[in-house]
Amino acid sequence: MSPGHAPELEASDLHAGYAAQRVLHGVSARFGRGWSAIVGANGAGKTTLLRALAGLLAPAAGQVRLGGVALAALTARERGQRIAWLAQLGGPGGELGGELTVRETVALGRLPQLGPFGSPGPADDAAVAAAMQACGCADRAERPLLELSGGERQRALLARALATGAPVLLLDEPTTHLDPSHQVALVRLLRRLAATHTVVTVMHDLPLALAADRVLLLDAGGLRADAPAADPALHAAIAACFGGAVRIGWRDGCARVEPAL
Amino acid sequence: MRRVLALLLLALLHATTGATAAAGIRIVDDRGVAVKLAQPPQRIVSLLPSLTETVCALDACDRLVGVDRWSNWPPPVRALPRLGGLDDVQVEALLRLRPDLVLAAVSHRTLARLEALGVRVVALEAERHADVQRVFTTVAALLGEPARGEQAWARVQQQIAQAAARVPAALHGATVYFEVASTPHAAGADSFIGQTLAALGLRNIVPPAMGPFPQLNPEFVVRARPELLVAVAREARRLAQRPGWAALPALREGRVCAVAEGPAWELLVRPGPRLGEAALALADCLAALPAPPPTTARAPLPPTASPR
Amino acid sequence: MSPPGAPTEARAGPGAAAHAPAQPRDARRARCLALLAALGGAALVLTALGLAAGSAGLSWSALQQDLADGHAAALIGQIRAPRTLGALLVGALLGLAGAIAQGVFRNPLADPFLLGSAAGASLAVVAVIAASALAGQAIAPAAAAWAERLGLVGAAYVGALGGVALTLLLARGAHQTLRLLLAGVVVGVLLGAIAELLTLLSPDALRARQAFQLGSTALLGWPALALLALGLALALPLALRSARVLDALTLGEDSAASLGLNLARWRLALVALLALCTALAVAQAGLVAFVGLVAPHLVRRLAPSAHGTLLAASALAGGVLLLAADVLARSIVAPQELPVGVVTAVLGGGYLLWLLGRGGVR
Repeated sequence: MSPGHAPELEASDLHAGYAAQRVLHGVSARFGRGWSAIVGANGAGKTTLLRALAGLLAPAAGQVRLGGVALAALTARERGQRIAWLAQLGGPGGELGGELTVRETVALGRLPQLGPFGSPGPADDAAVAAAMQACGCADRAERPLLELSGGERQRALLARALATGAPVLLLDEPTTHLDPSHQVALVRLLRRLAATHTVVTVMHDLPLALAADRVLLLDAGGLRADAPAADPALHAAIAACFGGAVRIGWRDGCARVEPAL
Repeated sequence: MRRVLALLLLALLHATTGATAAAGIRIVDDRGVAVKLAQPPQRIVSLLPSLTETVCALDACDRLVGVDRWSNWPPPVRALPRLGGLDDVQVEALLRLRPDLVLAAVSHRTLARLEALGVRVVALEAERHADVQRVFTTVAALLGEPARGEQAWARVQQQIAQAAARVPAALHGATVYFEVASTPHAAGADSFIGQTLAALGLRNIVPPAMGPFPQLNPEFVVRARPELLVAVAREARRLAQRPGWAALPALREGRVCAVAEGPAWELLVRPGPRLGEAALALADCLAALPAPPPTTARAPLPPTASPR
Repeated sequence: MSPPGAPTEARAGPGAAAHAPAQPRDARRARCLALLAALGGAALVLTALGLAAGSAGLSWSALQQDLADGHAAALIGQIRAPRTLGALLVGALLGLAGAIAQGVFRNPLADPFLLGSAAGASLAVVAVIAASALAGQAIAPAAAAWAERLGLVGAAYVGALGGVALTLLLARGAHQTLRLLLAGVVVGVLLGAIAELLTLLSPDALRARQAFQLGSTALLGWPALALLALGLALALPLALRSARVLDALTLGEDSAASLGLNLARWRLALVALLALCTALAVAQAGLVAFVGLVAPHLVRRLAPSAHGTLLAASALAGGVLLLAADVLARSIVAPQELPVGVVTAVLGGGYLLWLLGRGGVR
């Protein structure tokens, strides 16, 4: 599967949740090449939707399809080769307990291709090097992940996701806990990757989210809006969703988000 | 020092009050606590099997109203209410029995609690023969029958002497290893078991300096090549499987006293009035062993450690 | 440890990128090799000491005397050699199991006894002793005879595996780490309570349990050694094969799952491997404390690396730790012996305290 070919990830009438709590109610959306950002209030179901899209959460009803094939029909390895997941830094899914270097971490991205027992060949080393290059962490390749700052670590982990060769990248809160310079660098990187991949992010940082090509607004488990980032109707919906706490404008091709103090 | 004080006090009491039970009993127990009784106790609780046996050996079995979980001799004692073990005494059940005296080991965990509840506790523990004699004297004094204490000890001495006579001459001065636990823990020369073995004319491979019940390096036993082995039956069967032990002549020639688990073993490991019986049982076991090969002169026997 | 003069992203091509950070990578590899060499050297030295440490303490003159007297075959060959090598192997199994446990649970405080293996082994030992003590009274002599034939070693092995199996049953498989850990705690408490009840029936059982919980290499012979060596020879390669999975787990469960790994199945396999290593070690030497916990810590502190090296080094470190403790236990109060679990607790506990003091439990 070459990076240029980005199959469509489709959620149809998704109902999903945890144990007794149903979080998503009938969400349908299609994700193709480009960057789609999912926004919404806390508890709206953003991460739940992303995890369902990744196949990490089995939906209670509805289906997720990748290139027309149901996710549930794929094996774990096939899923890993097609969809890459970047966990939230510092969240429950994204701890770092190990002593791996950046290179070793990025090399783990080849697991879906090689399997747990395969030995990496020159193609794998090339993929690792290319991923590190694309994310700008090649000069830190031999440093332990734990020694890096949050932003540098996130780039290494993104390189790990890239190294899988998967055309779909799902990122959970990739800019949270990063300082502004790293946030901007990451956003620029995502924009570059959006040319060749299907990138879907969950973000609650509105200005950064509105740098995406397209924004989906989730509210209480339902999809309220799904439009290009510049769409004023989207801005109005977002402002309404947050109870008028923000005002969103659009100027010079960028969103302006102002808190209504 | 405490022991001397206790003995002095007892001697004083004996001199002033005569042989019959008298009002005002005062003894110092093994914790150094002075215990005063207006009259001999009529309702006794014993929380240590050897103390239970002592009370019964001094003809005061009928005064026992409660015992610990492990007390099982003499047989009538088994019908008494059981009050728990070393650290889990059922305090309420004990109090309900309204004892006027509780006998326990010094290491018992609930002594302070019992005393705080107003129960009179005498803590006694015996590690050597001299201690056993002292326990007899103290309990006899508590019961108001000091003569019985002396009689009980005299009986023990007599039985030990009888046992020594039963040990075959060929085994005099033979080295012995007495195992109390398979860790291995041994009974050293400085323990009551070791002193009994010495009284029987045997030499313990574990010297007094190592304490009463040391945990040994098994190599020590192999090096010492004891001529006799005593162990509980379950372990005795497997001694030859221990690395390096199969070469021991004692194992090859079957000079192992395998003591059955249960009453036979308890007899040997309780420092109480059946010390003499234990000596007799050991002597009988040794007499039944195959004779050792004639050895070149053994080193002369050190003087026996039992006090007269 | 920053790379000196690394080229900037704009100018660097893949070739230059491979050369420039060579120094830190070599430095890391050098540290790993140095640690392995140091541990290997320590193992050799301690083995020699172990062969010399007898009931006369650690004494070269006594050793020479023994060799001269011709007692060497029995004393050194049959007693000291299997015991010394046995300590190395038991420690290696525990160190390996500890590294696996810490990897599977992603917790630096995990140890191999977490999943009920210790409680199961303890209970089995108590049950066997209580059975033979109660033979003819409460239970049939046939059952007691069978228990005795199984022996303490066999019983402890079966008990340890049984404890883990019970945990897996309670947690309904290895699908969720938290549930597995909780089940392990429950099983530990439950089996411990049953063991306590059994010790009420038989004071022998109580003493046996205490001895088992302190651990001892005193009665390890060549047959035991063969079993341990076989176990380690099987377990180590299997563990090394799973090194990459353990590395992936450090990224978090979601990330690991997204890399195409069937986490439930892998966790089950790793728990089974961990249980086998622990059961083998514990059956022969009792519940030796701290070795499984401290060995991976030491390795991570001295030579941090991916799991490929960490697992092997933890095994070696565990062996060295236990052997050192065993030599100490035999020599300090010779001809008496300290229980080796006490020495490992002092050494291991002391090390952890020192770590906490320095503020770094990673």
